[in-house]
Amino acid sequence: MIKTYYESGMGLSTERQAVVFDFGDCYTKVGFAGEAGPRSIVPSEVRCPKDGRTRKVFDAVKADEQYNLLVEFIHNLYFRHLLVSPKDRRVVVVESVLCPTSIREMLAKVFFMHFEISSLLFVPSHVVALSTLGVNTALVVDMGATETIVIPVYEGVAVLHAWQAQPLAAKAVERQISDMLQEREKSNQSEGYANLTEKMIEDIKVRACFVTTLGRTQKAREDKPCPCPPSVNYLVGPGSNMLNISGDIRENAFNILFEQDADQISVSTMMLDAITKCPIDMRKPLAENILLIGGTSMAVGMKARIKEELSYLAASAQYSEKLKLRTFKFHSPPAKENYTAWLGGAIYGATDIVSTRSLSKEAYLKDKKVPDWVSLIYNTLNEGVKRSI
Amino acid sequence: MSSISSHHDAKPKHDLKIALHAIVCHESKLRGDITIGAHTIVHPRATIIAEAGPIIIGESNIIEEQAHIINRLPPGADPSSQIVMEIGNGNVFEVDCLFESTKMGDQNVLEVKSHVGREVEIKSGCIIGAACKLTGKEVLPENTVVYGRNCARRIAMDKPPIQTLQIEFLTKTLVNYHHLKKPRSANS
Amino acid sequence: MAYLVRNDIVQYACTCGQLRPISFLYFCRHCLKLRCGFCVCHEVESHYCSNCLEILPSAEARLKKNRCQACFDCPNCLNTLAVRGTTVSVRDPDDPGKVNSQKKYYHACFFCRWTTRDVGLPDQAVQTVSANGWAQKNTSNVQRITVLLEHAKLLGMLERHEREQREKKFTARFRRNFTHLPGLTAAHVRKRAGLPPELPAPSTIKVNLAEFQPAVAKETVPELPTDIFTKELDIGTVTTLTQRFAQPETQPDSIEGLLPSYKHLSTKQSQRCRECEHNVSKPELNPASIKFKIQQAAYFYVPEVRIVTLEPLIGGKPSEVVIVFINPSQHPTTLSFITLQEAEEEIKQHQTEGTTDTAVQQGEAPLSLSSLTKPVTVVEEPRPIDISMTGEVQLPAADVEIVLPPKDDAAEYDDSGEIQQFHDDPKIVIHRRANKASLRFTVVPKTDIAGENCVIGFAFRYTYVNRISTPAIATSEQKPQKVQLCTRIFMNCGKILEGTQ
Repeated sequence: MIKTYYESGMGLSTERQAVVFDFGDCYTKVGFAGEAGPRSIVPSEVRCPKDGRTRKVFDAVKADEQYNLLVEFIHNLYFRHLLVSPKDRRVVVVESVLCPTSIREMLAKVFFMHFEISSLLFVPSHVVALSTLGVNTALVVDMGATETIVIPVYEGVAVLHAWQAQPLAAKAVERQISDMLQEREKSNQSEGYANLTEKMIEDIKVRACFVTTLGRTQKAREDKPCPCPPSVNYLVGPGSNMLNISGDIRENAFNILFEQDADQISVSTMMLDAITKCPIDMRKPLAENILLIGGTSMAVGMKARIKEELSYLAASAQYSEKLKLRTFKFHSPPAKENYTAWLGGAIYGATDIVSTRSLSKEAYLKDKKVPDWVSLIYNTLNEGVKRSI
Repeated sequence: MSSISSHHDAKPKHDLKIALHAIVCHESKLRGDITIGAHTIVHPRATIIAEAGPIIIGESNIIEEQAHIINRLPPGADPSSQIVMEIGNGNVFEVDCLFESTKMGDQNVLEVKSHVGREVEIKSGCIIGAACKLTGKEVLPENTVVYGRNCARRIAMDKPPIQTLQIEFLTKTLVNYHHLKKPRSANS
Repeated sequence: MAYLVRNDIVQYACTCGQLRPISFLYFCRHCLKLRCGFCVCHEVESHYCSNCLEILPSAEARLKKNRCQACFDCPNCLNTLAVRGTTVSVRDPDDPGKVNSQKKYYHACFFCRWTTRDVGLPDQAVQTVSANGWAQKNTSNVQRITVLLEHAKLLGMLERHEREQREKKFTARFRRNFTHLPGLTAAHVRKRAGLPPELPAPSTIKVNLAEFQPAVAKETVPELPTDIFTKELDIGTVTTLTQRFAQPETQPDSIEGLLPSYKHLSTKQSQRCRECEHNVSKPELNPASIKFKIQQAAYFYVPEVRIVTLEPLIGGKPSEVVIVFINPSQHPTTLSFITLQEAEEEIKQHQTEGTTDTAVQQGEAPLSLSSLTKPVTVVEEPRPIDISMTGEVQLPAADVEIVLPPKDDAAEYDDSGEIQQFHDDPKIVIHRRANKASLRFTVVPKTDIAGENCVIGFAFRYTYVNRISTPAIATSEQKPQKVQLCTRIFMNCGKILEGTQ
């Protein structure tokens, strides 16, 4: 084991550890590079000092507002959760490849101009998630808050043309729960629905709901429903308002992710479509290395259902000609799925890459732009030219 | 314990039955048919109003200042109907709490400024946290702890102990600073 | 006393364009400018536990993951746990007849009544639980992650090797220069030159890489428990997201798995002006102390403005507003009033003057070595003030100067009652007392916006005695300098009432 200059064990290095951020639409994971888990998982919200409302950080419309919200949020992250000074420290931001350029630019501006960090490195979440496994090839499915993004990664390179993204994630499930409860209320005149906040619906989704099996769903479609699971009494606010969440809602809320909509798209078809778009030789290794990350994939019964769906769809008429795959294998990363991407960033942040590939403060201040894969200026390959990244 | 008085026409204003060794301060506000068990302590400025029927309070309870135990007549109800409010042993009613329900078991704690409404039934060992309001209709299982701004619930492992030390201390010191009501049994 | 609670009535414009009440602003004595929490650089000074008020040095804090070693947080409601002791009779192992009474300790939360006994943790014999006591870590994951980290570092080293070989940065000549000096190794040489540490040879890296075992995908996945369809669910036994995120690495599903976590520390912060790099606020190290070593709050340097009385505001009609100015310093100050436009022009003038100065300096800078080592200062551009005026204020004439006497802390105990003679226009200055003066202004709210707040803005100049000698001033002159400073104020005068013209 090489121990001369890189001291083994975490946290003993004399060098200042980089800070790793994974900004999500709903929750942000923040911690130090080289550690086994984030220090905190916080909701991406900021308390507005003027009116006391909590606002989502990535909800703003105007650039000024977004800047202020980000400053406030990142300030809280540094001084309440990380307890370090932001100045002259390296930062690694794990972001989705489909993150809008305006958010990236805004983040860079906030970090460099306001917090005066020393260097910033953006890493794509799907690629770095593989470093938590130590493999180079996998089909990475990120089931987050607002959308599910599927990107195959082959030999460490993201196969971008095969990307799939759909808004079939946590928010969709919560909307489904809300709709189902509203229907119940109309028919049964049950109380308590009116007082439900977003947080409560999220709580119901996490604690009471689960992902049912494919068999039961199919039977229900054929009008042969199996007996429902028991209902749950949920306390809504002070007072004794109890909301009865029927077993039907508990079982079927997550089905919205697997019901094929008008375009016949569901989470499982997204995965198979992504595999189909890849060259033939890649398909088998991808199907046998599936990695599920993101908070929504932690729902009870999610992995089992996805496996069932994939096996069923691969054999069905839709895909049996295009894909000759029948086995699907899943990875289990050494971390909970909701921070696996963060862990990937933390592993990257502990290596040399953070010093060689980061965007330094001086380089940023020259032209105030962040190199982006979307822009061709940074994409032309020229062997002899030294680039700032 | 005494029998429940059943005079429909004339409700005696102070039909108090105080058991031996109960400490009831004179400045407390007691109205209606109230029975107080042994070793119970009623602080000054506590309010016990038996409007809609008698209140029977058990032994070793502590009713602190500004606590309100009110057997209220619901609006529009028949004034002659009598609903008995029964309170068990070893309960603590902290400052400024409001208790309107009909039944209470043993060893409960109503913390400061808590409010228990008419329809709630409390068994034993429950702790209603500070400023928590329970207004709906429900039966709290044993050893429930209600806490927090949203009245979150959880079931505790064991009941809160009877405050024996506190009762002894108050029995000794309250005498020195307050006038007490004399114990009266049903027969006297 | 409304200014203590409603502090958004009178707001000052900070140099960066943010509006803040005076209690939220700092005054940099070196730049002579106002600074707010937004434009000041925050730094962490010290870590301490908010429960036991123990200071941890930053290196130790980092090792212990910013957690206090003695205090615990309730996993159920995230409040602090208290230690309770019970006496337990334990049979003496040596002498079976004897029964010893031992003190055993457990932790309890007074808020939600959760105890460590609820999750089955045994009572401890010592009052302070050591680090190996209760909080358990997920060690198998940690080991695997260590292996992954090493693997990633090796890959990084390989990549660097390839890149360096491509670019051929090292020359043999460079290394020979210093190694003749005794006691210096190649590692020291590299460190002095600022180069990253030397890489081991690629062959050794590859050998170590071969030892690594990548993760293996499995066909079996965690199945849905079949009793979920039949078993009654008591939702109180399932943990909420907040409870799970308090322990991110384990995230237990049920409340049986909730273990107490070590209490998160808090920090004391110091603030620093970005332009001159001097500290504007520095607290004392002792967590129990609320004093400051350096406290340059604007409240102590800039005259405070408060509204005393208001007449009802009706659109289009001039109303009287009485405003009191309070002089915080130990020197008398002279106030004069100008409009916002004049104030903004002055600020722009100062800025252009400032940039011409630095341009002269910058002309020399690229040649000097100091520019290479000096860190690049980043200053955010001041933004325009985000407020719209809904009223006009008629200020006294530009030549009217109001003198405010210095703040005298002993004035309230002084019965001699010396009255100083000021030549004040009685229409403007209504009342004086010690270091305060109440002035009458006229406000004309805009028409047709009844129901909205009437916001007025103006600026005032005041003299400030600068006791700090900057390098710009020659060191021979040690006398304190009097400087004219200008501050912009925005006031919310209340709702404009509906009224007829």
